[in-house]
Amino acid sequence: MPQDKKLKFEGKETLKPPAGAHSEAPTTPEPYIVGDRLKTAVNLTIALRRPLLLEGDPGCGKTCLAKAVAFELGLPFFRWNVESTTKARDGQYIYDALGRLHDVQLLKGDRETRRDPSNPEAYCDMGALGKAFEIQDRTSVVLIDEIDKAELDFPNDLLTVLDKPWTFQIKESGRSVSAHKEHIPIIFITSNKEKGNLPDAFLRRCLYHYVEFPKDEGVLKNIIKRHYQFEKETLPEVALQDASIAKFLTVRNEGGLIKKPGTSEFLDWLKALHTFGEKPYDPNKLKDKDESKQLPYRELLLKTQQDWRKFEPAT
Amino acid sequence: MTQFDASELITQLFLRLRRRGFKLGLDELQLALQAVEAGFAIDDKSLLEMVEILWCHTRSHQGQIRLTWEELKKSQQEQLRQLEKDLETSEPETRFQEPERNRQGSTDIIESLQTLIDSPPKSDVASLPVQAPFEPMEREDMLDLQSYFPVSRRSMVYGWRALRRWVTDGAKDLLDVPATVQMVTDQGYYLEPVYQRRRRNAARLIIFIDQNGSMMPFHRFTRDLVETASAESFLLPENVQVFYFHNIPVEGVYRDVYLTDPIPLLEALVGCDSDTSVLIVSDAGAARGYRRQERIQETTRFLRRLRQRTTLIAWLNPMSQRRWMGSSAEILAYLVPMYAMDRLGFGDAIAALRGLAGVGTVEL
Repeated sequence: MPQDKKLKFEGKETLKPPAGAHSEAPTTPEPYIVGDRLKTAVNLTIALRRPLLLEGDPGCGKTCLAKAVAFELGLPFFRWNVESTTKARDGQYIYDALGRLHDVQLLKGDRETRRDPSNPEAYCDMGALGKAFEIQDRTSVVLIDEIDKAELDFPNDLLTVLDKPWTFQIKESGRSVSAHKEHIPIIFITSNKEKGNLPDAFLRRCLYHYVEFPKDEGVLKNIIKRHYQFEKETLPEVALQDASIAKFLTVRNEGGLIKKPGTSEFLDWLKALHTFGEKPYDPNKLKDKDESKQLPYRELLLKTQQDWRKFEPAT
Repeated sequence: MTQFDASELITQLFLRLRRRGFKLGLDELQLALQAVEAGFAIDDKSLLEMVEILWCHTRSHQGQIRLTWEELKKSQQEQLRQLEKDLETSEPETRFQEPERNRQGSTDIIESLQTLIDSPPKSDVASLPVQAPFEPMEREDMLDLQSYFPVSRRSMVYGWRALRRWVTDGAKDLLDVPATVQMVTDQGYYLEPVYQRRRRNAARLIIFIDQNGSMMPFHRFTRDLVETASAESFLLPENVQVFYFHNIPVEGVYRDVYLTDPIPLLEALVGCDSDTSVLIVSDAGAARGYRRQERIQETTRFLRRLRQRTTLIAWLNPMSQRRWMGSSAEILAYLVPMYAMDRLGFGDAIAALRGLAGVGTVEL
C-alpha cells in the first residue's frame, strides 16, 4: 500500500494539536473516548482508505469521531452536511454561473468586478470532497454527515468519486481534480437508517462500525471526566456523578423508554443537575427509592409523550 | 498450531461465508488480505474483529460471521485431531524419513501437520482433509430464518419511481441558468432571465388490495406498498387512491384497512380514465390452493369493468408463480398480467402499469 504508513490513530488524551498540524486541521480538541474496536476500525480505514460507515443510536458520538481523528493526527478536516436536497456533485464543487454572468454585465458597464469572468475557475466553489482532493501534500479527513437524509440515488452517485482513481472533472472549466495517490482522503460517513438501508453496492465499498451506547459505568465516568477536562469546568462531586450515572442507566435500561437518550443527553442532564439550580442537586434524592419514579429535569432526557408520561411527578 | 496463518484462515472463512449467502466478492477478499499485510490480524481475536469491520454491513451479519468463525475453528481442530490419530496408528516408517524424531513430542507432529495443511494449493482450499464436524442436531440456516422479504421497501420505492408521466404545465418560475447564459451570449446583452415551467407527475394510480383471510401474512407488504406509493414515489398524493376488499371486489370496496368504510365500486372508479393505472394485490386463492368457479366469474366481471376504463392493469400475487397452479390464480393469470411479488415481478408489474406489457392478456 502506498498510503502514509505513519498515520495511526491512538485515541490520545491530548489537548494540544500535534506539531506541524495543517492549517485546516481542527484547532479545538474533541473530547472522545475510543474503544479498542472502534480504534481498529479507524486504523483499518486509514490503512485501506475505504470509507468508514458509522451507524448507531443518535447522540452516541458518530459525528465527533472524524473531528477527533483529524485533530489527533493534525490533518485538514472538511465536513459535508447532507441535506434532503443535496446532490452528489455538491460535495465536489458548486458552480456560480449566475455570478459570472453578472460580472460580465458589470465589466461591460465598465465597473469593477471582484472576480475575473474570463477565468471560469474563479466561479467554482469547492465542496468538502473537492477541497480534500486538492490538498496534494497531506492526507485530509472528510466527514459526510447523515448520508441517509439525501435522495435515494445519492449514495450511488457518490460511489464513482469515492473509489479509484479518486478523481472528478469540473465540467465548466474542463479541469479534472485528482487526489494525490499517496494522500487519498480518509472518509467517515454517518447514517441513522432513516430511510431504510443503503444500497448494497455502496455498502460493499465501506467498512462498517456500529457505535453503541457505553454499557458500563466506568466508561461513562471516563466520558464525564474527559468532557469537563476539555471544557475546563469543575467536575461535579463524585457522589453526584455516581448517583446520576446509576439513575440514568436505570431509566435508560429499565424504564421501558421508546426513545432512549444517548451520551450527549446524559452530559446535558448532568450539567443541569450540577449547575442549573442554585446548589448542585442532592445525590441522595436521586438514590431515594420512594422517588424512583421521579426524574429531575426530565425535559433533557425524555423526548416522546409516552416516555414523558411515565415520569410524571405525583401531584 | 505453532504459527498463525491469517491469510489462510481468511480465505477459508471467505469461502464459508459465501456458501452461507454473504454477498462477498474477490474485491472484499483482497481487501482483507491487504489488511493482513498491513499487520491488522495478529491473532484470532484481532482477525475476527477485522473481518467483522470489513465484511459486515449490519449487526446481524456480525453475529453470523462469529458463528461461521466458530464452525471453522471447530472443524479445523477436528481435522487436526483426526490427522494426529491417523499418524499415531499408522506405521511411522512408511510416512516419515526420521521416525525417531516424530515420536519425540506432539509439537513436531503438529509442525508436520501444519505443513500438511498448508501444502494444498490455494485454489483448492475448500477441500482440505475432510471430515464433517460432528453436529448433535441439524444446523439452523440463519439466513432463511431472519425474515421473509420478497420485495424490500427500497426496491418498492425504486419501482414506483418509474411510474411517471411528466407534464410541464406548472407555474413558470424555475430559473433556467444554462438557457439564460446561452441567451445572453446569443444576444450580446442581458434582457431577462429564462424561466421554465414546473413539471408535475400526471400519472394516476388506483390500488385494490385484498385484505384479511389468506392475505393476512402479507399485510406487512401491502402496507409497505401503500406507504411507498403514496409517500415515497413521484406520484402526487392526490393521484393515489387505495381501496380494500375481501376475497373479491364485487359491488363494493372499502376505503380503510379494517373494511368498515364501504364505497360502491362504480363510485371508486369515477376518476379512473385511460391514463389511470390500476394495481390489484391479491393471492387469488393461490395461498390456500382454492379454485372456485363463482369467484373466478366475479373477478372476471370486475376486471371487465376495469377494462372499460383503462388498459393499464396489473395484478401482484404475493405467492410465487409455482403455487398458482391449480388455483384460481392460474386461470386469472390468462385474463390479466399477473406477477409474483418478488423484485423482478414487481418491476414487471410497474412496467405493465405504464402500458409496456401485454403478455398474458386476452380480450375479455
